[in-house]
Amino acid sequence: MNSNKISIIGAGQAAIYAAMEIRKLDDESSITLYGDENYLPYERPPLSKDFLINKKKEDEILFFNKQFFEDKKISFVNKKITKVDFKNNILTSYNDDFLYDKLLITTGSTNRKLEVNSQIDNDIYYLRNLDEAVKIKDKALKVNKIAIIGGGFIGLEIASSLNQLNKEVSVIEISNQIMGRIIPAPIANLVKAEHEKYGNKIYVDSKINNIQKTDEGFKIILENENIIEAEIIIAGIGSMPSISLFNNTDLKLDNGILTDEYCQTSIENVFAAGDVTNFYHPFFNTRLRLESYQHAQNHGINAGKNIAGIKTEYISIPWMWSDQFNLNLQLTGHCDEYDEVIIRGNTLENGIIHFFIKNNKILGACGLGLIGKVGRDIRIASKLIEKNIVVDKKILLDQNTKLNKLMKN
Amino acid sequence: MTDNWIEVANADSIEMEDLIRFDHGDKTFCIYRIEDGYYATDGMCTHEAVHLEDGLVMDDEIECPMHQGIFNIKTGEAVSPPACEDIKTYPIKVENDLVYINIS
Ligand SMILES: Cc1cc2nc3c(=O)[nH]c(=O)nc-3n(C[C@H](O)[C@H](O)[C@H](O)COP(=O)(O)OP(=O)(O)OC[C@H]3O[C@@H](n4cnc5c(N)ncnc54)[C@H](O)[C@@H]3O)c2cc1C
Ligand code: FES
Repeated sequence: MNSNKISIIGAGQAAIYAAMEIRKLDDESSITLYGDENYLPYERPPLSKDFLINKKKEDEILFFNKQFFEDKKISFVNKKITKVDFKNNILTSYNDDFLYDKLLITTGSTNRKLEVNSQIDNDIYYLRNLDEAVKIKDKALKVNKIAIIGGGFIGLEIASSLNQLNKEVSVIEISNQIMGRIIPAPIANLVKAEHEKYGNKIYVDSKINNIQKTDEGFKIILENENIIEAEIIIAGIGSMPSISLFNNTDLKLDNGILTDEYCQTSIENVFAAGDVTNFYHPFFNTRLRLESYQHAQNHGINAGKNIAGIKTEYISIPWMWSDQFNLNLQLTGHCDEYDEVIIRGNTLENGIIHFFIKNNKILGACGLGLIGKVGRDIRIASKLIEKNIVVDKKILLDQNTKLNKLMKN
Repeated sequence: MTDNWIEVANADSIEMEDLIRFDHGDKTFCIYRIEDGYYATDGMCTHEAVHLEDGLVMDDEIECPMHQGIFNIKTGEAVSPPACEDIKTYPIKVENDLVYINIS
């Protein structure tokens, strides 16, 4: 095997799984991760959950420790890449240049910023990385009233965690439902009710008119004239692929870096994976941009295989989860069109799952239940989707019949 | 040490390719029945504190219901991330249609 200089921009989840996979298949090439955060790659999901409530510490969220990097001969360089010269294979970090033979881009996503007025815009907190999580945690300890703008997964998870730290939390959501339209309204309503049960205030249909500074903090004025007071404001209003580095290059971009089913970009020997990609999914015959743990991991592994010369299609069925209070929500598949919804179960104790069906096959599923209660069925749903199996709807409906039965048909 | 065998359940009460939870003292276990026989592991996933009783058994693997970490039921090996720490396994025997675990 030829020995290559393999470089990875962005040292997050997709990066480390790609690096590991490359090393599994190729012991010769050098592998270098360039990351602008001063930490070895770590898991982001705990940032809004166990890390905020002090159940997990910094060293417990690293994917692997320093020793692992040494053992696998994977280098981590704490530098921000500021320019890429795709013609001459050069990465630049301010005054330093680095050559590569093969490049993987895993720069992830960047939070959208709220623009209300110049007096307050810089006072708003965001959560994407460990430094920001530390800041939120430190600040939250000193205050009581917290407003979260945006009722998406991350905003709601922060709301759940801060509630567990006994804070008074208000969540302000512009649309008429939390977590967006991909979540069935009955499930979104159950999650909202759970927040309210513990005392969080959730405002839907609430557009912000203005935010004013006060002695205590802020006064958030909604268009419906409601006023919410808060000592700090955290915004979770979505994110964009981190592609500004490539704006004036030949790399093809469109809501992310365009890749084919082999993680290959429009430039030879340049690959991309994870949140930053808008990738072609052969199973759904469409492009997808996903922000999920499972995708970052599997897409990274897939990129690793292809970089190491093992041509492999990426066909992983999308899956993600969110944890809020004692509830675990899971989503699988991809469905923009379905002709039927079948609902299995009606209590959170046993789990409730909505299956989206088209032509008697499952296209996607969304489940909500107490921790551990929907994982198995959602996992089986992913497998039924992947295997394109026609399902017996009576079994789907009947929570007393195990879903494994459908796999054997 | 034969006297450390603890009765778990009727062999028939565990379905094929399935598992049950077994609590003993302050410990909790998963008891599996697969094609090759009966096996036992610790009950909690090594990634986060979630019980594997609601996980999915496939061939000789158990998949965690929280984040899809996978362990080999026979060896306890963590075979798929985010699980990376192996899970403890325990000897099992079946006598007179009863399943026993040795947790010594
Ligand atoms: C707070 C939070 C909670 C989440 N919770 C869940 C959850 O419960 N379930 C779930 O499925 N998913 C969750 N996710 C999503 C999941 O963590 C991401 O999808 C995943 O981390 C994406 O991996 P990635 O490798 O593509 O990018 P990232 O892990 O984001 O890594 C990208 C890295 O590249 C670095 N970088 C960017 N540009 C440069 C540059 N020019 N030079 C050097 N480095 C650069 C970034 O700083 C970052 O470190 C959560 C995300 C967040 C932020
Ligand atoms: S808790 Fe089991 S894989 Fe995370």
